[in-house]
Amino acid sequence: MTTPLPFEGLKVLDLSWVVVGPTTAKYLGDHGATVVRVEATTPLDILRTAGPFKDNVPGFDRSQFFGEYNTSKLGISLNLKNPAGKEIAKRLIEWADVFIESFTAGTVDSLGIGYETARELNPSIIMVSTCLMGQTGSAAAFSGFGFHAGSIAGFYETTGWSDLPPDGPWVAYTDTVAPHILSASIMAALDHRRRTGQGQFIDASQLEMSLHFLSPQIMDYSTTGKTVTRIGNRSEFFAPQGAYPCAGDDRWCAIAVESEEHWEGLKSAMGGPDWALDGKLDSMEARLENHDAIDQHISEWTKDQDAKALMQLLLSHGVPAGVVQRSSDLETDPQLSHRSYFRHLEHQEMGTVPYAGHQFRIKGYDSGPRFASPVLGQHNEQVLRDVLGMTDDEITEAIIAEAIM
Amino acid sequence: MLSPYTVLDLTGGRGDLASMLLGDMGANVIKIEPPGGSAGRREPPFMEGGLEAERSLNFFAFNRNKQGITLDLESKAGRNALRALVKEADFLFESGQPKTLDSIGLGFDVLKNINPKVIHVAISPYGWDGPHSDYAASDLTIAAMGGPMSVQGVRERAPLRISVPQVWLHTGAEAATAALTAHALMIQTGEAQFVDVSAQTAMIATMLSATSAHAIQGTDYQRAGALLQLGQASIPLVFQCADGYVVIAPTGPTLAVIVHWFVEEGLVPESWISGEDWPTYHFRLLQGQPISYPLDEVLEAVTKLAIRYTKSQLLERGLAEGVSLAPVNSVGDLAGFKQLEERGYWLTAPLPNGQEAQVPGLVVRMTETPMSVRSWTPTLHEHNNDVLGSVLGMSKEEISLASGVDAG
Repeated sequence: MTTPLPFEGLKVLDLSWVVVGPTTAKYLGDHGATVVRVEATTPLDILRTAGPFKDNVPGFDRSQFFGEYNTSKLGISLNLKNPAGKEIAKRLIEWADVFIESFTAGTVDSLGIGYETARELNPSIIMVSTCLMGQTGSAAAFSGFGFHAGSIAGFYETTGWSDLPPDGPWVAYTDTVAPHILSASIMAALDHRRRTGQGQFIDASQLEMSLHFLSPQIMDYSTTGKTVTRIGNRSEFFAPQGAYPCAGDDRWCAIAVESEEHWEGLKSAMGGPDWALDGKLDSMEARLENHDAIDQHISEWTKDQDAKALMQLLLSHGVPAGVVQRSSDLETDPQLSHRSYFRHLEHQEMGTVPYAGHQFRIKGYDSGPRFASPVLGQHNEQVLRDVLGMTDDEITEAIIAEAIM
Repeated sequence: MLSPYTVLDLTGGRGDLASMLLGDMGANVIKIEPPGGSAGRREPPFMEGGLEAERSLNFFAFNRNKQGITLDLESKAGRNALRALVKEADFLFESGQPKTLDSIGLGFDVLKNINPKVIHVAISPYGWDGPHSDYAASDLTIAAMGGPMSVQGVRERAPLRISVPQVWLHTGAEAATAALTAHALMIQTGEAQFVDVSAQTAMIATMLSATSAHAIQGTDYQRAGALLQLGQASIPLVFQCADGYVVIAPTGPTLAVIVHWFVEEGLVPESWISGEDWPTYHFRLLQGQPISYPLDEVLEAVTKLAIRYTKSQLLERGLAEGVSLAPVNSVGDLAGFKQLEERGYWLTAPLPNGQEAQVPGLVVRMTETPMSVRSWTPTLHEHNNDVLGSVLGMSKEEISLASGVDAG
């Protein structure tokens, strides 16, 4: 007997692009929904033009940045500016239970496929519009990427070294926050719809979702005027902590002393070093004050050690420690292997490539992803024929009308 | 929206956001703490003054829409009370060392017999089982093992985390999605579900394009500060302006507008305006196709432009002309961002120390089942009598025994 999938039978129209919308739709697809990802070719989803590319050879169908967020989806390339293309979009809206789009606020209305139209076509549809700033307000049209919203939110101010300009988190930070929250919101809306038959419209601002990740700091500012800023790897409250150099090329081990127990553990792992013998550093305050000097001692001790062996030594003394893992390290991480985290799937152009798995496992259920991301227009005919029930003649007409590209 | 459901939150500072999200969505959430309070109550930053157990801003931020009770799970009375609560609950979140609940006879195998439809969500640093499941961990070490640190920061210095702890927030938010996915599965199968959420993998998800970089392109990405690395091209994003920094991406829609500013300011010749199809500039740049003006020259003009204006001037003029220039805001700058005020985003919360704080509002806007904040974070054992007395029908004496706190 096969286990049913959580969202088996659910129909999702994914008219979004870049990261947040596609990731959210991918969650539903990986967990069983039929997802039709509609792509426009002008402009192309920018992720198709951004690396990493398979074997470092650029190509629209070779980007795993695109691939990662479009697993378990049927892909069609549709010209939404063409009347026949728009008709097909409307038929997909009639078909769908969930319709996700992530264009600049107002774009779907101007294309004639906004919520008013969607609701007329399909009264119980759940439509999700997600953009950086939300659908209303004077900055609604502020379009851009997760680094724009990340900067406005405060994540650039708080990522970097105190004596250097802000570094910012890797690539597009709010794109990493929003999908968790948006997926949960859609799943809750689906549960409500299951019980009541009622659909609705969801306005999801990626900035507003992400600000919860700075909530204590925002509260702190509003009550004390204190503004949090970047302090490298340090903590205002715990010391010592940092990423310490190890043997080899650019190898590092993160160590965090958050309690007196951790501190005792660190000292014993270091064999009771002379500089810490007098007990003057046996309080968090003293260690915060002498962080530079302590870091020098620790670095001196770590720099010729193997990062993984060092981590094991520290863990055996009860000290939180972790190797700074790179993409290449994740490939061989035994814990990730144990979780079957990476899934190797056959992609039409790239061949067998790894896709990241899910952040959770449900006992007795294999969460996927189920199949690889589509090459551009891979499922054009399948979607028109099997999903929309179009005849061969209708499909030919759509191709002649340049609705499909 | 989730009002038919009851959620038990046993997480101790590592996953409070999960049940908060379900609470914002309407679920009835009961926060269950040990008699001395959740470890989360000792998490900085702290507010000024007030009782020790109520001072954590971190705890306050992620425990709204919850009733708060204490249970002494080391006592039989406490464990029995938890069993009684599980019987009526739909979700249970916990974040102890893996198998802590098992060790007191309340593991999933027991809970699913008490309630055959319960969704048990266990949050942990590396996962419920496996070779790293017992590793001691902190925000920093999980950010390291998850990978994002390897691509953040500058090559000349150590790999870098975000200075504000993020790990348990990613993990908590994902745990909400995990819980609702498992709930959808339970609807299909009719069976209780056990969900194992790993913080390490939640951090891997923040690596975006770097996740599988090595397997795909043969090399890891190297950290290079604020340089946006897109395979074929690398683009600096952060520029200094008159009073700080601003993020400007040299993409088509941006350049099509600010090329006029360059000309106005005498930074480039007027011929630049018609000399390039600016709206498609970045697509050709990323694809290695011909461009009229090299990226270096474009960036030089951006650099010279940015330094002449303040963050708010750049944001305002950008908004007026439809171009996205994003100030590197501090939390103070953010408070003045009109968009959030116009959308009625901010909420005001009364803190236990008597102050009022501005707090982030509803995560998303929904037309038919709007989310809401119905109550602020409970004080320690605030609802012991309501929940244990009124709901479970326990006497004062029984409440005292089960909760580890004198019920009077």
